[in-house]
Amino acid sequence: MTLATLLQLLINGVLFGTMYGIAAIGLSVIFGMMHILFLAQGTMIVLAAYCCYWLFELYGMNPYLSALVIVPAFLLLGQALYHGLFRRVSVSGVFPSLLIAFGLMSLLENLISVLWSPNPRAIVADYSGYSISLWVLHVSFTRLMAFGMAMLAAGGVTLFLKKTLLGKAVRAASENMEYAMLVGITPHRANGVAFAIGMGLAGLAGIATATVYPFDPNFGFIFSLKAMIALALGGMGSVMGALAGGILLGAIESFSSYVFSSAWADAIGYALFLMVLMFKPEGLFSPSPNGNRK
Amino acid sequence: MPLVVMAVLALVGCILPQLVAAKESSYLIYVLFQAFLFLTLAQGWNLVAGYTGQISLGQHAFFGSGAYATALVWNSGLGGYFDPLTMLLSGFFAALLAVFIGIPLLSRLKGDYFALGTLGLGEILRVIVIQGGEITGGSSGLILPSGGYTSITVYYYYSLALALCATLTVYLITRSKTGLALVAVRDSEIAAAANGIHILKYKVGAFALGAFFTGICGNLQAYYLFQVTAPNFFSPNWTLYPVIICVLGGVGTVTGPIAGAFALSALFEVSKEWLPTIHPMLSGLLIIVVTLFLPRGILRTKMGR
Repeated sequence: MTLATLLQLLINGVLFGTMYGIAAIGLSVIFGMMHILFLAQGTMIVLAAYCCYWLFELYGMNPYLSALVIVPAFLLLGQALYHGLFRRVSVSGVFPSLLIAFGLMSLLENLISVLWSPNPRAIVADYSGYSISLWVLHVSFTRLMAFGMAMLAAGGVTLFLKKTLLGKAVRAASENMEYAMLVGITPHRANGVAFAIGMGLAGLAGIATATVYPFDPNFGFIFSLKAMIALALGGMGSVMGALAGGILLGAIESFSSYVFSSAWADAIGYALFLMVLMFKPEGLFSPSPNGNRK
Repeated sequence: MPLVVMAVLALVGCILPQLVAAKESSYLIYVLFQAFLFLTLAQGWNLVAGYTGQISLGQHAFFGSGAYATALVWNSGLGGYFDPLTMLLSGFFAALLAVFIGIPLLSRLKGDYFALGTLGLGEILRVIVIQGGEITGGSSGLILPSGGYTSITVYYYYSLALALCATLTVYLITRSKTGLALVAVRDSEIAAAANGIHILKYKVGAFALGAFFTGICGNLQAYYLFQVTAPNFFSPNWTLYPVIICVLGGVGTVTGPIAGAFALSALFEVSKEWLPTIHPMLSGLLIIVVTLFLPRGILRTKMGR
C-alpha cells in the first residue's frame, strides 16, 4: 500500500463517513431528548433521497437547491411525527416509542417500495462523475459537497443548541426535564423541536445520499444501523461526537473494504460496534465517567 | 385461564384436520401451520422482552442459526428429516449462541443498547454466513434433500406441538419462582438484586430459552423450504413478526401471543387475498396503531402475571 493509496482511502472514507455523521447527529439530538433510538432515521433519509430524486427528475431541480424545499418540509414532518405519534406515548417509557419507530420504519420502507418500485435509483447530473485532482489524489465533487453539508449541519445544530433561546431550552430539557419544567419549558415543545431537528438532518442526509449513492427502499435499515454505529462510536448525545463517529466509521469501512472486501467491511463495522457498546458505551471520544459502565 | 385456552387450542388443533377435506394440501392447514410457527416465535420473544424486559431485536439471528444448524447436521449425514436429534440440536445451537452472546451483552448493556447490540448480531451473522464459502454455501445457501416430503399435515402437527410446548413452558415459568424473579428483574433490577436475585443468570437464561424455541422454529422452516439461504433465514422479519404478535396480543401475558399470532396470520392472509399491494405495509401500520391506541394489546389483559 503506497502513501498515495493510503491517503486516497482515508479521504474516501472520511467523505463517505460524513453522511453517516449527519444521520448520527439527528439520532443524537433525538436520543438526547427522548432517550429513544429512532430506528426509522435511515428510512427517513431514504424518503428524503426519493424526494430529491423526484424533484430532480420531474422538475429538473438542482439537488443542492432542493435542500431549500426538503429540509423545511422535513422539519415540519418532524414536528408532525412527534405530535402525531410520539407525544401520546412519551410518558409511558422507552418501549412504546421504540416500537412505534420500528413500525414507522417498516411502514415507510414498504410504502416507498409500493409507490416507487424497489428498483435502485440514482441522480445522474453533469457533475456526478466530476472529481477534483489534488496532487495524486482524486476527490469526487459530490462527496466533497456532502462533506460540506455535514460540516454546515453540525455547525448549525451546535450554534442553534448553544446560542438560541429555543436551543438552550432543548438542552436544558434533555439534561433535566423536571428542572426545565420549573423554569417554564414545555416538555412537548422541546421534544418536538428536537424531533424536528432530527428530521431536518435526515432531509439533508437524504440529499447528500441521493447525489452520491444509488439508493433503494431497503437501504434505510442499513443506514439506520450505520448511523447507530457512528453514534455508539462517538458517544450518545453529543453532536460533534456523532459526526466524528461517522467519519471514523467511514474511514474504517474504506480501509477494510480495500484490505478484505466490502461485505467483510460491514461485518467489521458491526463487530467494532458491539465491542464499543460492551467496553466503552459512553463512546470513544468522551472521557470515561469514573470508569462506571452502567 | 391460560390452561383452559391451551387445552382448547390443543383439542381444536388435533380435531380440526380430521374435518378438513383434502387435508394433505389444504390451504387452511398451511395457514394454521404458519400461525403456530409465529406463536412459537412470539412466545420465545415474550419470555425475553415481555417477562424479563430485555428487548431483543436479534431473534432472526437465532432463527437463522437454528436453520443452518439443521442443514449442516442433515447434510453431514448425522441428522435427517424430522429427526428429533436434529431438531433438538438446532434449538441447542441457537441457545448456545444466545449464552455466548448473552453473557457479554446482558452484563453490560441495558434497554436500547441491548436492542441495538442484538440487532447488530443478526447483521454480523448474515454477513458471516454469506461469506462462509463452502460450509454455508455462500449466498445461494444450503439445499436439503426434499425426497421425504409427504404432506403439510406433518408440519401442522409438529408446529402445533411446538406452539403448545412453548406456551406451556412460558406458563409454567410464570407460575414458578423463576417467573417471579424474571418479572422482578424487568420491573426493577436494583430491587431484584437487593433481594438476592442473580440478575445476569436470569437474563441469560430467559434469552437462551427464547433462542432455543426460535432456533427450533428455524429448524421447522428449513424442513419446510428444503433450502436454507441467508436472506430468507436471517431476514429481520423473523424478529418483526414476534414483536408485532406480542404487541398485538399483549406483551408479558401467556394468552396474548396466542391471540396475536392468530390475528396476525388472519390479517396477512386476508390482505394477501384482497389487498395484495399494500399487504407488506400493514405490519408497520399495525404496530403503530396498536401501540398508540391499545397499549395493552387486543385482549386488554393486564401486564404481569
